[in-house]
Amino acid sequence: MTEVKAELVGNVWKIKTQPGAQVAEEDELLILESMKMEIPVTAPRAGTVKEVRVKEGEVVKEGQVLVVLE
Amino acid sequence: MGDDYSSKVEELHARRKKNLAMGGDEKVAKQHQRGKLTVRERIDLLFDPGTFVELGLLASQQSVRGGETDSDGTPADGVVTGHGDVDGRQVWVIAYDFTVMAGSMGAVGEQFKAARVRELALRYRKPVVWLLDSAGARIQEASGSTFAGTGWLFADQVVMSGVIPQVAAMLGPCAAGTAYIPGLADFVPMVKETSSMSLGGARLVKAATGEDVTDHDMGGSQVHCYESGVGDNEVGDDRECVATVRRFLSYLPSSNLEAPPVVDTDDPPDRLVAGLEKIVPVSPRAAYDVRKVIKAVFDEGTWFEVKPAWAKNIVVGFARAAGNSVGVVANQPMQKGGVLDSDAADKAARFIRMCDAFNVPLVYLVDVPGFMVGSQVEKEGIIRHGAKMLYATSEATVPKVTVIMRKAYGAGYYVMCGKGYQPDTIVAWPLAEISVMGPEGAVNIIFNKQVEASENPEATRAQLIETIRAQINPYLAAGWAMIDDVIDPAETRRVIVKGLEQARDKKIDRPWRKHGNIPV
Repeated sequence: MTEVKAELVGNVWKIKTQPGAQVAEEDELLILESMKMEIPVTAPRAGTVKEVRVKEGEVVKEGQVLVVLE
Repeated sequence: MGDDYSSKVEELHARRKKNLAMGGDEKVAKQHQRGKLTVRERIDLLFDPGTFVELGLLASQQSVRGGETDSDGTPADGVVTGHGDVDGRQVWVIAYDFTVMAGSMGAVGEQFKAARVRELALRYRKPVVWLLDSAGARIQEASGSTFAGTGWLFADQVVMSGVIPQVAAMLGPCAAGTAYIPGLADFVPMVKETSSMSLGGARLVKAATGEDVTDHDMGGSQVHCYESGVGDNEVGDDRECVATVRRFLSYLPSSNLEAPPVVDTDDPPDRLVAGLEKIVPVSPRAAYDVRKVIKAVFDEGTWFEVKPAWAKNIVVGFARAAGNSVGVVANQPMQKGGVLDSDAADKAARFIRMCDAFNVPLVYLVDVPGFMVGSQVEKEGIIRHGAKMLYATSEATVPKVTVIMRKAYGAGYYVMCGKGYQPDTIVAWPLAEISVMGPEGAVNIIFNKQVEASENPEATRAQLIETIRAQINPYLAAGWAMIDDVIDPAETRRVIVKGLEQARDKKIDRPWRKHGNIPV
């Protein structure tokens, strides 16, 4: 199981995956918005998306778990 | 008498042969089993063939307290020292031999052999390379209060800092006594899996704090090249590590008294850079990999990234422009949107100071939304860390060329060598947005009351944002001649080459001082 965490404070702009989705390494899981930049969050490894723990528009903290892969 | 003569010469050859064999066949086999090369194999890879001159081959552990010593057990006293050529230029080496008492630093090896290398390298103004594979201080020799007389090596390193390049190649363990060598070095490649560094080795940590941890888990490349930033570049094996050391040295002069070597290139200095429109999105919000821009702009095949896996939101490294060595500092929109934070400022500041010390011109490729803001980064001391980069960029007197590609916001613009930091050439692409902050932030601050008072706050807000956005374009800055030109991105290479050429005879005099007080 791999937890994908936010690298910086920001809000969740777009979610581009859903539970059950198969992802390859480097696939975009969601896009954060911070400092007026779109910051893609990618899969650190291939796997299946187990959980998406955030909603679009939600403000996330640095280190907060966004997506869980298995 | 002839027999006497030859037997004496034979004795010499026998002594040489014995010490060249290092810790013996068994220890050498063990070294290879660990996936490591021996110290002498590493030195063969480091230097141009046939150029190594060894000093102190016949050294070994000596009796320091009048007691017995097992000098047979410590060929060369566990450290091979001398000099050789790297691409035809003299470089000095201090290479620890793990097959001899685990490469531990003994009195002879440290106080006489390594010290002599440091002294001579500084005397001749030539780089020093440490090949580190050492258990640290030889406690058997130094466990008492004779420790009072040790520690010069770091003071020597500080004297050498900024005078001659120092490389600490991590090829094995490096604990305690040896760990400050990389701490003070200019470049620290680390071999994956086999190398580690920590102020206290695993056994000492257990005794001191009770923590159970291995040397690798505590101080391997996965820690230092990714999390701590103490290591620079993670490499796959010893061979790659030594090749990386040679590559690093190729961009630097032998000392601060010289210019870096210039190499021939087939890449035309005035080549128009093709394909940038496919790399850099027009929307300032969208990310891309700035390393693709760097590779497209500079001489083909010359990009050498430093610290590629740590503080990835800023990219630093060496490249060549028309054969000349340059240090590149570029924001990386692909990582954290290219925002500057504490680690990024720290990484850039150290790299900029290294380039400035060794006469390597700097090229800044700017696309920065600013410094990160908020309570988290204030707790980290981002003002203190950001100030390091401000300091380093201001202080640098080497030629500086600034190319504003897209965003240049706030203090991010300053530390990326904005106009106030005396760039020799400063230009912007037509996409450039130079401003104290983005229009959204500006409206929130300047027009907060108007927006709140409006019957339709969102519409008012949007309209004000557009009003401010119209003021953010490079032609305003160029109209004021605050920047030297607005250029077609395809002209970037030519402008950099010309800018560096223009500033070749740069000389800046500043008031005398003992030294400045960088906010470390």
